[in-house]
Amino acid sequence: MVLRETAKRRVVITGVGMVTPLGGNCADTFENAAQGRSGIDYISSFDTTGLPCRIGGQVKDAWLTDQGADAFSRFERYSSRGLRLMHTAAVEASSQAGLDTLRDRERIGVSLGSHGENVSVGEMSELLRFYDGNGHWDMNGLLSSCRYSPFQFFLRKADTASSILSMLFNCRGSSLSIVSACAAGAQAIGEAYRIIQDRKADVMIAGGCEATLNFMGFIGFVLIKALAEKYTTPQNASRPFDRKRNGFVMSEGAGAVILEDLDHARDRGANILGELLGYGSSADAYRITDTHPKAEGAYLAMANALEDACLTADDIGYVNAHGTSTVQNDLVESLAIRRIFGERARSVPVSSNKSMMGHTIAAAGAIECILTLMGMQRSVILPTINYENRDPKCDLDYVPNEARHLPYRRALSNSFGFGGQNASLCIGAFEK
Amino acid sequence: MKTSEQVVITGAGLVSSLGRTTDENWEALCAGKSGIKSISGFDAGGFSCGLAAEVGKIDPETLGIHPRDARIMDTHAYLLMMASRNAFRNAGLDRAAFAPEDIGFYAGMGMVDYGNDDILPAVMKSLGSEGSIDYPAFYEEGYREIYPLWPLSMLNNITFCQVGIDLGIRGENAVFCPHADAGAQAITEGMRTIFEHRAKAVLAGGVSEKVSPLSIARLHLSGVAMTSIKTGSITYIPFSGEDRGTVMGEGAGIISLELRDSADRRGAAYSCMISGYGHAFGLAEAGPAPSAETIGNAMRQALKTASLSPEDIDLIIAHGDGSVFGDLNEAEAVTAVFGKRTGLMPVFSSKAALGNLFAGAPAADIILGMQMIEKGIIPAMIPDKYQRSQHAAEAPGPVTGEAQKKELRRIMVNCQSYEGQAASIIIGTVT
Repeated sequence: MVLRETAKRRVVITGVGMVTPLGGNCADTFENAAQGRSGIDYISSFDTTGLPCRIGGQVKDAWLTDQGADAFSRFERYSSRGLRLMHTAAVEASSQAGLDTLRDRERIGVSLGSHGENVSVGEMSELLRFYDGNGHWDMNGLLSSCRYSPFQFFLRKADTASSILSMLFNCRGSSLSIVSACAAGAQAIGEAYRIIQDRKADVMIAGGCEATLNFMGFIGFVLIKALAEKYTTPQNASRPFDRKRNGFVMSEGAGAVILEDLDHARDRGANILGELLGYGSSADAYRITDTHPKAEGAYLAMANALEDACLTADDIGYVNAHGTSTVQNDLVESLAIRRIFGERARSVPVSSNKSMMGHTIAAAGAIECILTLMGMQRSVILPTINYENRDPKCDLDYVPNEARHLPYRRALSNSFGFGGQNASLCIGAFEK
Repeated sequence: MKTSEQVVITGAGLVSSLGRTTDENWEALCAGKSGIKSISGFDAGGFSCGLAAEVGKIDPETLGIHPRDARIMDTHAYLLMMASRNAFRNAGLDRAAFAPEDIGFYAGMGMVDYGNDDILPAVMKSLGSEGSIDYPAFYEEGYREIYPLWPLSMLNNITFCQVGIDLGIRGENAVFCPHADAGAQAITEGMRTIFEHRAKAVLAGGVSEKVSPLSIARLHLSGVAMTSIKTGSITYIPFSGEDRGTVMGEGAGIISLELRDSADRRGAAYSCMISGYGHAFGLAEAGPAPSAETIGNAMRQALKTASLSPEDIDLIIAHGDGSVFGDLNEAEAVTAVFGKRTGLMPVFSSKAALGNLFAGAPAADIILGMQMIEKGIIPAMIPDKYQRSQHAAEAPGPVTGEAQKKELRRIMVNCQSYEGQAASIIIGTVT
């Protein structure tokens, strides 16, 4: 078997793109984050009257690039908001990487963390008109009513976004859809990295997208009491690692990276932005609603990423935390970081981008990977804003409230998913 | 290849409409049984497709699942749990001295649909005077009728995590969604994980969707469901050119993967290994299936990874889902890859008996393929009638009539989605 012909291939990053509550591209998002601005506000995408949490991080429609785009129009009926966000991010990333110029499209794949769109209340009530409550459906009545578009069914499917992205960018290699909740974006990047290492592709568009600022997407997290309910202003609600944190803030967004085999990138003279040095995943195997109290899963993900990168904790200069602003996550993640870094733990800067843009679920891993890389290029560590009250159980250097000028060459970016799936990416500056 | 690099299959768990163990499935298949029947899980009278291969009601208590956990589980969750537990025990992982972090888990999951009964009370409580939703009533009061943890059960990865908790495994993992290619991706990534020593053992496979009004409607609206036969237990016939369309099946398949040296050291039994794999994307112009070129690319890649030529393959377990374009393109791809050997190449599709298990299909087919290799038997796919496809003159020939005795060394398993993904995996005897 020619699973691996020689040593592991090196995988570099040659393009990045994002759309977040902080901006319609990478540069704007980074600039706003470096200024410590918040992208959180009262939700306008649906009526939140009566809900205990009414805030979120929305992306401005004007930032989306699919408006009037010919290539996109034939997929419009199937396209969720998540895909529209992803398209915007992928256009930025692919144009930076010069993806259009590549000839062998069978060697380009897509790996996407995406969950499909939630059903709307209006849709449900429309559907239920044809349901008698006792297991009987009038399907023919539903279809002949012409009031319910069959395309709604395709919006639900997790793989619609990855498949359409493959078509839009003419990628004929592997096309993956990964659905591991908040770890999906990081896992999608990790799986793409493995596919390139395995020589099954030379280039992969990888990342994640999420657009859950609608009733059914939102209500689930209201019901499990995961969202921030106590806040004085929307902008100060997301407060990772702060003692008064009380839940996460739901946001939408997308992030795309172009991963490429180093030799492939060199041969075509691509501008190399950085290198993906390692990827680790793990499971808590603890409880479906709680993270492991001793941070077993979070620790393993970071340890696996370091091992994969052939590095030790001493080589890491910064940790881009999952840092959701929930009581449990931030506590457990701090514990995991202490276990990884030992005596050095308090001197390693750790910050959470979610303090400014909220939690973009399947997009978070991709967006945060890119912001980590951008910080590395600029010798800037993005801050954790709204950090006002020290929590004695969270005693690390969270880079409070202001960005810090500090050079670093290697970093970890964490993503931990509901149910206990964890992922960590090890990102490095490119070294010849 | 050095034995230290061979990734062998040390355990298997298969649950479907034909049985709850691998043996039950195999015996039913050899006896010419089909699990495809009129849908009984709900009243499908309003649908133009009324057939499915259902597993029937599964009582979580008999599986030792706590009622609290069962509240956010459904048929697909029980199926994945059963198949994973069987594979875990079958591989002796319950007795092996592997640390929890040394056992990985990769699965393809079908779509998880909203259970109408779960949300109906909330909607009914919020109905306005004209039968439409009174939004303020829904937001302020109605939603409280929904079981607080119910939303968790709608996340595609929750079932996967529940199984991981049940087995206590913490190693590398990922969840893919929702078609057969997702199940194949899980097996491919599981194999890579073993090969690269990132885990000592990996469970990999997938699970189907639950047969429900929403999943049947989705299949129907995709334009791939069989609608010509509405009742009875007649199987459809992949590649036959008649009774076109796919039939949904419920089921899960999980295999346990391990390096041969590791299995030898702990005395774990195995007969087969994964030899190669390939993945490609390209939607056909004409309809919901990968193009023939794409399917062929995945097959060629699998041969290349395995360092094999088409002559080395003794049997194809086709995706063969019965859909018009899926079958047509797969037949064309097989013809293109196997050339003159095509007519001699036996082709099997489990979907004629198990229905279309979507993400559960690849592992199910690998498990059945292992049985075929071990026993030297290809079960008859269609016990009685068979009509050659009208679309492809050189279409592969399904085994019909009687089961065939044949020494099998290598089997190619094909997998497809309706969105353009194609995958192929080759299993073979361990040499």
